[in-house]
Amino acid sequence: MVWGPMIAVYLFVAGAAAGSYLTASLVSFKYPGGVFTRKAGRIIAPILLAIGLLMLMLDAEAGLRNPLRFLGLFANPRSVMTIGTYIISVFMVVALIVAVLELMGKNVPRALDIVGDIGAICLAGYTGFLLGDSLGVPLWHNSVLPPLFIVSALTSGMAIVSLIGAAFDYVEFEKMGVLRPIHIVLAVLEILLIVALLVIASGRGAAGAESVAMLTTGSLAPAFWIGVVGIGLVLPLAIDLFNMRSTKSEASGEALAQTGVVVGGFLLRFVVVSAGVMMVLL
Amino acid sequence: MARYGMMIDTRKCVGCFACRVACQMKNTLGPKEGFVHFEFLESGTYPDVSSEAIPMQCMHCADAPCEKVCPTGATYINEAGVVLVDANKCIGCKYCMVACPYSVRMIEEISGVVEKCRFCWDDEMGGPNNPSCVATCIADARVFGDLDDPNSDVAVAIAANDAQPIAGDLTEAKIFYVR
Repeated sequence: MVWGPMIAVYLFVAGAAAGSYLTASLVSFKYPGGVFTRKAGRIIAPILLAIGLLMLMLDAEAGLRNPLRFLGLFANPRSVMTIGTYIISVFMVVALIVAVLELMGKNVPRALDIVGDIGAICLAGYTGFLLGDSLGVPLWHNSVLPPLFIVSALTSGMAIVSLIGAAFDYVEFEKMGVLRPIHIVLAVLEILLIVALLVIASGRGAAGAESVAMLTTGSLAPAFWIGVVGIGLVLPLAIDLFNMRSTKSEASGEALAQTGVVVGGFLLRFVVVSAGVMMVLL
Repeated sequence: MARYGMMIDTRKCVGCFACRVACQMKNTLGPKEGFVHFEFLESGTYPDVSSEAIPMQCMHCADAPCEKVCPTGATYINEAGVVLVDANKCIGCKYCMVACPYSVRMIEEISGVVEKCRFCWDDEMGGPNNPSCVATCIADARVFGDLDDPNSDVAVAIAANDAQPIAGDLTEAKIFYVR
């Protein structure tokens, strides 16, 4: 495929930035005591997105050599990439202001935070539509990818924020009981969406079937089964369910689960980008 | 204004690659770069078999996916229906390559810009300058001209052979194949 690992990294960190921001919003709304978790989410969101934008620019070589051409990205509103540029522009500005306010120890106005939340959801979703506008690639050109990427963005961002928040203040982190059931619901949803993606792609001709074969039995099978499914979904779900039964959770288990979600979230983008196979129209 | 298109008769094509090489020369492309590539199709079971060489290049779609996804407007369709790339606007994001269902776009190694067949469009002439793939074809498998002129060679040939775009009406392509 023409798009490689750099685009996969971008799709992952852009989604994780959105998820981090939304997690911080939820925490600030529901758990005023969860200071470290909130700060982590709000500060890391623009940093993650900046890393992603760097990847995009490095991948677009002609633009890299003539940086002024990147201004043209605003030019064609019929292109999902241009729409994404609008979304990133709004979200990045809001996320930066929020991060600065957080660093200065000032309150973030609720209205501004909500604008950021809407931007974050759009950011997570557009990455699915970006791949979806390629009518020659059955694995991408379907309606499952946007919700799958949104769900994975939320879990990835939540995991990154949880890891940092828990590292700084585990006692406070344990009080945020709502994060665990949210993760369980999202992880189950993600499994269903991945199944739907495979079923739909496999029914879309030779290219779709080849994509599914690459993922399930071919060169990407280890990354898919061990990485995305095992480490990213089943292991964290198992740890979550185990922790829900006891009143106290083990910090090491929690860290393992969250790390697994992050690794799985990246690998999901990586295998979806890598398994894109173009139809041959003859 | 004319609306340019092409007919390719794969029954005449021998797969000699002369069109690809002529195009590489005219557009100063490297040996691995090409606006024309070939697909080979085998069909039937022994002993009733046939093979077909199918030259592929930009189909100059009226409903061009590459033009729709190009964020900078570098890819555009000119007044004669020819799909062109403004190299000074292209950032090399490769979205057009991902979107093109015919896989006929390529990255120019030196500039990082995406390029493809332009029907030998010449801005100074304001029209196509004798497309080299057509001129060089040893089998006369290619016919080029104005689709809107019912008396043009290409319009007559398409009508006579009932030539069709390779993917039907998927993108309103302007290269018609006889197979």
